[in-house]
Order: sequence, then structure tokens, then C-alpha cells
Amino acid sequence: MEPGAGEGSSTDDYESLISTTDAELLKRAWRNEKAAPEILKFEAALVQRSRQQIQLMEETVEEFTRNGVDPLTVSLYQMDLDRTLFLLRSYLRTRLQKIEKYVLHIQKTAELWNRLSKQEQKFAIRCVGDLTQHLEQSVLTKLPDQYQSHLKQSGASENDDMVPEPKLDTYIICRSKKFLGAFQLDDSGEEPVNIEADDLYALPYKSIKPLVESGQIDLV
Amino acid sequence: MYGKKASELVKEFVSCEHGQLTSFNNDLFAQVIEECNGHLLHLQPLMRKIQEHENKLKDNRRSEDETAISEDESRKSEADTIFIQTAMKSDQFGALIHHLSLVRNKRCLMAYVYNRAEVIKSLGWVIDCVLPEEIEEKLSSSEKEYFKNHAATLQSYMSELDLDLTVDMIPPKDPYIKVRVLDDIGEVVLSDQVATLARNAMLFLRRTDGEQYISQGLMEELTG
Repeated sequence: MEPGAGEGSSTDDYESLISTTDAELLKRAWRNEKAAPEILKFEAALVQRSRQQIQLMEETVEEFTRNGVDPLTVSLYQMDLDRTLFLLRSYLRTRLQKIEKYVLHIQKTAELWNRLSKQEQKFAIRCVGDLTQHLEQSVLTKLPDQYQSHLKQSGASENDDMVPEPKLDTYIICRSKKFLGAFQLDDSGEEPVNIEADDLYALPYKSIKPLVESGQIDLV
Repeated sequence: MYGKKASELVKEFVSCEHGQLTSFNNDLFAQVIEECNGHLLHLQPLMRKIQEHENKLKDNRRSEDETAISEDESRKSEADTIFIQTAMKSDQFGALIHHLSLVRNKRCLMAYVYNRAEVIKSLGWVIDCVLPEEIEEKLSSSEKEYFKNHAATLQSYMSELDLDLTVDMIPPKDPYIKVRVLDDIGEVVLSDQVATLARNAMLFLRRTDGEQYISQGLMEELTG
């Protein structure tokens, strides 16, 4: 590293460069997805790029092994590859598990539905089909006419009152990279929270939802 | 007491350890369903009665409006109205009780089936398509079907993506792991070598190769 005055800015550059690599972005997407109670927007472009990189890395590793490059180097590449693969798999897996759990809610909420990828939507549709068939066979067809809906408790309910939904007011741990200033949590008249850079906060997910969606705050 | 059996059903699910299943309680389940239908049998005549009362009240009011009647008669019809109203109220509350009990039973039944389904879903991630016998015998026939359907749904998603999501369940520390083979598997092609997997052999192999055998219980990972 260069000595003297340039040092401060070059570490900054390095950090900002690191934090925008796809590996880092994927890690962030994965962490957010893991911590958020509801399903977040599918990072289509990022996933596609990551998959291309994985393929590239696989080819590199293969080539190295063929050309007899130092096994240590190969194993380092392999390790990096494995980690990226794990991130990607875990990311997709976490999303699927959320879909499995809240499929009925996701399906009837257009906003959530549009957050899924094409394949995930297909998956969700089949999920709903399987689940309703199972519920109907086991319970609903054996009940009186008025009580056969899997969304409503009875014909008398106006809204769907039997759909499992994620609990949006659970507390999550979050951290912001930038100073965001005073942030009003909700309408209850409590004092606004000062969100400082790199400090950890435990806040209800519901109140910081817009910050998560706009990428200003990261979940941990 | 109404709703007691249904709550027993739910308690039974809660009392077993997280992520595990007890046998599907067909007996109790059928009893709760029966109770539901019993409620309906009570509910229907009550609803009919309420309807009758309402009609009668309407008739009374109409006749009051139409004919100018003497004070004596009007007092009589007023008493009549109050009498009908009280009777209707008691019927309404009766109906409400049966309705609420039915809804509660339904919720319990659904909770029982739904939560079991969640466990079954989570099994889909660790087992490929074929359930071990000791789990299978605990499921109802519809649950078995559900497992099969759901596993197929999961498979089709993964094949569309061309990415197996059931491996790599824990973050990798090292690309290679040390394992002990627990059964005679014979010769297999691993991604970087061809190996003969005999019982009790110890091997150093790629994590991704080993994981499928570990999840099938054919290998165990040696740590430390």
C-alpha cells in the first residue's frame, strides 16, 4: 500500500469496491432474506450474475487441476467457489421456505407475489394446489357446507381470517452503513431513534421496512 | 364440554417435540368431525326458528300498522312482541354458541393438519421422495400423498433452476471433509476420483460428494 497521504482514500476505495462486489451483495441479500420475517424482492440480476461467476469459477478450477497448478491455489479457489455456492443455495432455500410457510398470504397479496421470481411463482402455485388438496381431503370436505373454505373460518366471515401471515412487528437486529439521522419508528408518539453509521439496533421490522427495501439499512 | 376434544388434538401436537410427529390421531380426529356435524344439527333448527320468529314479528308489526286497534289489544300484541323477542334472543345465543364451537373446532382441526403439514414439508428438504417406514406409518393417507406431491414440487423447482438446493445445508468450512463409511456402498464415481466405499473405510473427500451419503445415513462425518 502506498505510504503517506493517499492511504486514507485508498482504503476507502478498497472498502467501497469490496462492498459492491457481487459476492458481497449476495451475502447482503442472503443476510437480509434470512433475518426479515417476510419475503423480500427477488434479486434476479444478482442471482444470474452469481451463477455465471460460479460457472466461470468452476471452469477455472477445472483448468487449474488439469494444468497441474499448485494444489493449495486450487483448494483456495475451490473454497471460494463452495462458499459462493452455499450463499446462493441458502438464499434460494430461505426464500422457498418462506414461500412454503406463507404461500396463501403471498398469493393473495399482489405486492408480495410480484417479489417472486418466475420459477418461485410456479413453485408457489403448485404449493397452494398441494396444500389445499391436502386440507380439503383431510378436513374441509368433512365439515358442513358453510365451513368449507380454507381461507375463511366460516361463510359468515367477510375477510379471509384463517391465512397464516408473517409477524411484521417482530424485532430484528439491523445496522446502517451511513448516518440516517432521526428516524420516527411509528405513530405512537415515541421519540425518534437516531440511526448512526455502523451501530447495531434492535427495532421492530415493520417500522424500518422502507429502509430495508431501499437498501439503506442491512439486517444482521 | 364443547371443543374439548379439539383442543386435546392440538395439545397432542404441541406436546411432541419440535419437528417430530406422532401418529395421526384418526380416532380423535373423527370424533371432532362428528362433534362439528352435531353442532350443525343443533344449529339448523335454531336458525329456522329464528327465521320464524322474525317473520312473526314482521307480521305483528304489519297488522299493527294496518288496523287501528284498541288500547287493550295493542297492549296484548306488545306483550306478544316482547315474548317473541325474548324467545328469539335465546335462540340466537344458542345458535351463536353452536356456530362459535363449530368454528373453533374447525380452527383446531386445521391447526392440527396444517402444522403437521409444515413438519412434513420440512421433511421434504432432508429426505428425497421416499419416506422411511417409521415416519410413513405415522401419517394419514392424505398426508402421504401431500408429502409426495410437495417433494415433487420442490424437485421440479430445483430441476428448472438446475441447482440442487438440498445439499450444502451448513456453511462450508473446508472443501474437503473426513468421513467414515457406515455401509458397503461399493464403487462410486466422485467428482474428483473413483472410490470404493467399503464399510468402516475412512475417507477424505469433497464435501459436496459426501453430503448426499451423510444425509442418507451411509456415512458419518468425523470432526475434530
